[in-house]
Amino acid sequence: MKQLFRQRLTSHLKEMMRYLRLVFNDYFVLALLFVIGGLGYYYSHALKQLHTGIWWAPILIIGVLLVSVQLGRFATLIQAPDYVFLLPRESDIYNYLKSGYKYSLSIALAIQVLLWIILMPFIQVTMHVTATDLYVLLATVLLMKTVWLNADFARKYHLQNRWLSNRLIFRLVVPIITFALCVYVNYWLGLALAVIALIVSYFSRQKWAARSLDWTKMIADENSRMHTVYQFFNLFTDVPTLQGSVKRRRYVDGILNRIKLVPKNTYLYLYGHGIVRDNEMSGLYVRLLVIGTLFLVFIKGEMLPILLSLLFVYLIGFQMIPFYFHFSDNAFVHVYPITNQYQLMSFQKVLLYLLSTVGVVFAIAVVAVNYSNLVTVFGVIIGEAVEIWAFIYLYLPKRLARSERVR
Amino acid sequence: MSLEVSNLVGGYSQVPVLKDVSFDVKDGELVGLIGLNGAGKSTTINHIIGLLTPFKGSIKINGTTLNEDVKKYKEQIAYIPEQPIVYKELTLKEHLEMTMLAYNLDQDESWKRAHKLLKLFRLDNKLDWFPDNFSKGMRQKVMIVCAFLTNAKLFIIDEPFLGLDPLAVNDLLNLISERKKQGASILMSTHVLDTAQRYCDRFVLLHNGRVRTEGTIEELRKLFPEAGDSLNDIYLTLAREGDAS
Repeated sequence: MKQLFRQRLTSHLKEMMRYLRLVFNDYFVLALLFVIGGLGYYYSHALKQLHTGIWWAPILIIGVLLVSVQLGRFATLIQAPDYVFLLPRESDIYNYLKSGYKYSLSIALAIQVLLWIILMPFIQVTMHVTATDLYVLLATVLLMKTVWLNADFARKYHLQNRWLSNRLIFRLVVPIITFALCVYVNYWLGLALAVIALIVSYFSRQKWAARSLDWTKMIADENSRMHTVYQFFNLFTDVPTLQGSVKRRRYVDGILNRIKLVPKNTYLYLYGHGIVRDNEMSGLYVRLLVIGTLFLVFIKGEMLPILLSLLFVYLIGFQMIPFYFHFSDNAFVHVYPITNQYQLMSFQKVLLYLLSTVGVVFAIAVVAVNYSNLVTVFGVIIGEAVEIWAFIYLYLPKRLARSERVR
Repeated sequence: MSLEVSNLVGGYSQVPVLKDVSFDVKDGELVGLIGLNGAGKSTTINHIIGLLTPFKGSIKINGTTLNEDVKKYKEQIAYIPEQPIVYKELTLKEHLEMTMLAYNLDQDESWKRAHKLLKLFRLDNKLDWFPDNFSKGMRQKVMIVCAFLTNAKLFIIDEPFLGLDPLAVNDLLNLISERKKQGASILMSTHVLDTAQRYCDRFVLLHNGRVRTEGTIEELRKLFPEAGDSLNDIYLTLAREGDAS
């Protein structure tokens, strides 16, 4: 069983490395270095303004430690078919999970140490602490994370005492009390509480480890963990395993319900509902819209806002193009008695809606910031109108025809 | 007495789906679990394989409950789920090896048996393929081969016939009766009533989370003489009655 975990870990790490290499390409690393350098500089500067006795300092410390303790989840690397294939070996799964626990613990503890190092200068400046206090605090944080993971471990079993895996208790209540004791009363007292919590969580393990596994929860937990990881990678690159999740978004119904239910609107109906509810598409759209608007709000100048808004309109439009083929794997659209000529028209209509909204939002942002410069104001409005028209009615059909041929 | 379900109350959340379900499967017996969609067949099975814990009542396999001894309980089960579920990154061969590992089977002997099973289900030339890309019926066959590779004492089979070709259905039924002769117990849920009538020794009819009735086909005919001769007729009558009352 330990062997099985090692195998899975190897392939898991290989996959992670592949994605990490895509994320941390040369440009990104360079940008990241600058950001870290800048933040470090800002941090060291801010520290000089601080002194002991600031009322919000202990609260901030507790807050940061609390966030820190949440980082690093229990990686079980369990897969959905396991509940069928490993069913007879269920009592051995404990050893498998223990390997996963050790692996997760080492990563989680490393994260805690890192955050403790970052937080240390702040504590030294704002609190009366000795070096011993700081180390006691580190020990407390590490123990809290261990307790946190123990509770998550217990969660994978059908427990007799449900509170042993209660997330509210072990993720929030106990850490808050412990850290508050540390910061407000005495560091040793906090450590003592952490030790007690750890002892309780270790002794209870003997009890639940003999019980049956909650496969459903275990598989759901691992899926949600991997989903978070993939979502992060998906910001930078395409993750094929990330199945598009769907949200209802009732508040757009008002607009969608205006589509008349006649045969030529079949595709309009599909594309409209699809783009709004597909988290990937609508997420991309909203993200780029917000980022673009923020840029435009903070940037002044004559030509720069025009160029930026044109660039973002193009980017958003470009990202939407693949959605044209979103339904081609669906057998229904090939069976429906409708002609394809409406497909392009419908897609253009949806894009026109989406991009016009972007254009209006951008124009408002630009006009609000640069209202005195008429060249910029009219440049943005006319430029966007021309671009959107050209993109949808000239570029899009050609581009789709080309993609169609490749498919 | 192989499988014994007594006074089982259970379900997914706080609301019980199963209300006081009791039945048993004896050694060398094939019991059909019959019921409409939502009657509680799969919930019962999920309780038996330990995905869910009972609110009340107990489930024993050869006298052991799950919480008394997880190892002893689970080692005796082979399970074929309704939806075939396979590892995306493993080939067919690796799936079989995984099963041998999990059930601690002798490699040489198991491979002999595996080749026989693979040939039976016409999968013998696909050992290096990925079952994830197979059709539903073929994935179902993979699950069947894996389950019958084992020496389990209790087979839990959830709706096995959907998606299987007629030949495979027949082969599966032969496999089941072979195992039955060797003393294994089999619990099978299904909607295909005429097949069930021909092959099952006894039937448990679930309706709205309760055992409506159970027994052999003769016993059922005697209990409901006016309902008709076939299991199909009897079941339809009972289901309609159950809805009316």
